[in-house]
Amino acid sequence: MTEVLGDFIRALRAADVRVSTSESIDAGNVVDLVGFGSREVLRDGLSHVLAKSEDEKQAFRETFDKFFAFDQFKSREQGEAEERDEESDGEGEEGGDPSGQQGQSGGMPGPGGGGREGEPAGDAASLQDLVAMLESGDQAALQMALAEAARQAQLNRIRLFTQRGMYVRRMMEIMGLNGLQDEIERREGEGNQAGADGLRGLRDQLRADVRDYVEKQLEIFTANSGRQLREEVLSQVRLGNIDARDMKIMRELVAKMAKRLVALHSRRRKVDRRGHLDVRRTIRANVEFDGLMFHTIWKQKKIDRPKVMAICDVSGSVAQVARFLLMFLYSMQEVLPRVRSFAFSGQLGETTKMFESERKIEEAITKALREHGGGSTDYGQAFLDLERLALDDIDHRTTVLILGDARSNYGDPRGDILKKIHARARRVIWLNPEPRSMWNSGDSEMRRLQPYCDTAKTCASLKDLERVVSELLRHAA
Amino acid sequence: MNQGAEGGAAPAIASIRQGFERSGYICNDHIATSIFLAERLQKPLLVEGPPGVGKTELAKATAELVGKPLIRLQCYEGLDESKALYEWKYGKQLLYTQVLKEKLGDLMQGAQGLKESISRLHDFDDTFFSEEFLEPRPLLKALWQPGGAVLLIDELDKSDDEFEAFLLEILSDYQISIPELGTIKARTPPIVFLTSNNTREIGDALKRRCLHLYIPFPDTELEQRIIRARVPEVEARLRTQLVAFVQGLRSLDLKKLPAVSETIDWARTLVLLHARELDADLVRRTLNVLLKFQDDIDNVDAEINALTTKALASVE
Repeated sequence: MTEVLGDFIRALRAADVRVSTSESIDAGNVVDLVGFGSREVLRDGLSHVLAKSEDEKQAFRETFDKFFAFDQFKSREQGEAEERDEESDGEGEEGGDPSGQQGQSGGMPGPGGGGREGEPAGDAASLQDLVAMLESGDQAALQMALAEAARQAQLNRIRLFTQRGMYVRRMMEIMGLNGLQDEIERREGEGNQAGADGLRGLRDQLRADVRDYVEKQLEIFTANSGRQLREEVLSQVRLGNIDARDMKIMRELVAKMAKRLVALHSRRRKVDRRGHLDVRRTIRANVEFDGLMFHTIWKQKKIDRPKVMAICDVSGSVAQVARFLLMFLYSMQEVLPRVRSFAFSGQLGETTKMFESERKIEEAITKALREHGGGSTDYGQAFLDLERLALDDIDHRTTVLILGDARSNYGDPRGDILKKIHARARRVIWLNPEPRSMWNSGDSEMRRLQPYCDTAKTCASLKDLERVVSELLRHAA
Repeated sequence: MNQGAEGGAAPAIASIRQGFERSGYICNDHIATSIFLAERLQKPLLVEGPPGVGKTELAKATAELVGKPLIRLQCYEGLDESKALYEWKYGKQLLYTQVLKEKLGDLMQGAQGLKESISRLHDFDDTFFSEEFLEPRPLLKALWQPGGAVLLIDELDKSDDEFEAFLLEILSDYQISIPELGTIKARTPPIVFLTSNNTREIGDALKRRCLHLYIPFPDTELEQRIIRARVPEVEARLRTQLVAFVQGLRSLDLKKLPAVSETIDWARTLVLLHARELDADLVRRTLNVLLKFQDDIDNVDAEINALTTKALASVE
């Protein structure tokens, strides 16, 4: 497998495209098969092997265009840019092909032996080359020299933006900076001021180009690491403490999580219950064998997806968290077919229909908050409304999920209704955003409600939420 | 299929595309490349995309292009080995045992003691579990087909994940194991297509073994060419308009966006109605060809005038 391809795959992984080893081998085969003749064919071919979902295809396209951008030196000579780009596309990659074997690089017109083993190269050949290349404006050769220098400087290991300067310097040295300086000084010594200045200008231009190149590579190889880190942190931070500016990431995170949970749990499972022969079907299936029981059919039990009823407190006391809980409710309803959602502060209302019809999640959440939020909490009233609206629908397959802090403003929380619900439902789960030590303090009524819950848990961060819901779905399935 | 095209990939891909065009399947180079790779790398091709963009059609067109029979396996929940791979012909086996019973007397004649009888029975040709009693189902058929075949495993997402796991052996090595007979290898590796509508995520193990092709809705230019090939009776002017209208429709928020197959149906409908040009009224009357949900039809109703005007303007 070529080194360039290896780097490209690493860049893909940085961009959230999962590439396995066997797929890398396939990619090598594709490259062997289609060659570097046409950019489109190569891109199409690799995308078939490496990117295996719609999102990944998108990421693949972006990474491919960035990674195989060979327009470093184009800006100065726009004229024949297009053709040259095509050429250097092909050549540039073959230049990287020898996968570390220096011997091969002799075949290239560019830096040749320049900077072997990464030492700053001062030998005459490469000096001549760099000066000649710069003065003649040989774009293709420069591009290759640049790629080769990047390889020797191991630019693909760049991780932090603070490393830029170091890499630029190292690459310049490998390309023959010292020799270039000597040449400038020599010309100055000879009194050839114009020549020296010209070369100096070219050197600065080259430096700018190298810097550009390094920055692009940095972007390719670290495309997502910043976001990944941020996501990791966000998923553990307490829901109430999340900044408004992180809402967008949060929303994606929640959606991703809901999707993952459903992928894990939503499959209809069939369980063979061995020992129970389905006599009727067996006889029917064996008619063709004269009634001999060749083909036995056993009774099967189908287990369906869980029915979930989610009730979310959106009052002032949990305002910070409510957005996320609603966000989660919305995402869950999007992925699970049988979720009914309710929101309440004073009175309780069903939000299932509204979530279904509202396509934009922010608007759905804002609407839910406007319609049901703001008031002071009254759990008693909420349970009363729930009883009226949905008690008939709660059966032994239903999981009731309550998201709230159980702070009922000293009103009667109507534990008796929750008891009724508990008796009918398969499970009642209470998720409280407050830490356990705060339960039962002040107007919190957890003490009176907890007995009627199968599980009562603290659910402060996204990680908690995921764990709890995963457990819920596993049990229900 | 392209023996003469060893020189390079690009001409081979172009010739695949042209071959498809001759048989009425219009596609871009992206799709043609996937077919080229699937054939050369001998890897199955997993085709995903919204319903009605021509995933199944692609397999049919390929079968026609390479001149091999198309063997199709429609997946559904509960599909198992005996329906996908092979089954023993029980009835025939039953008859065989009866024949055997009659022959047994002759066979055992003159046998001295139990030991000899058993050894004679062992020498007797055992054909009970042999290929003669094997009823090949689509997958086995595809492996056995002399000269190779095109195997289409349609709507894989509808099957259970056990079935998916069971496919792995076939997809990676083109072989299957039948306990009574051993491993059966493909005579000629078939070209395998798997299609999925993404109602559930296909497992990673399977994805890893396949090339992956995503077919999105076609762009205006491609869709026009498709309509031209499929419904040649439509005049150029109307064709431009109706494609522009459908493309506009796809930019709306709908439950089910109209796919290529719906566009084709609609073009045929308009031909039947002798329409020469779109107008809002005509669109309203025929919208149910394009949209399959009453909700969608109701939602679009308000937009019809604007969309039609835009579609009419696209001709100029």
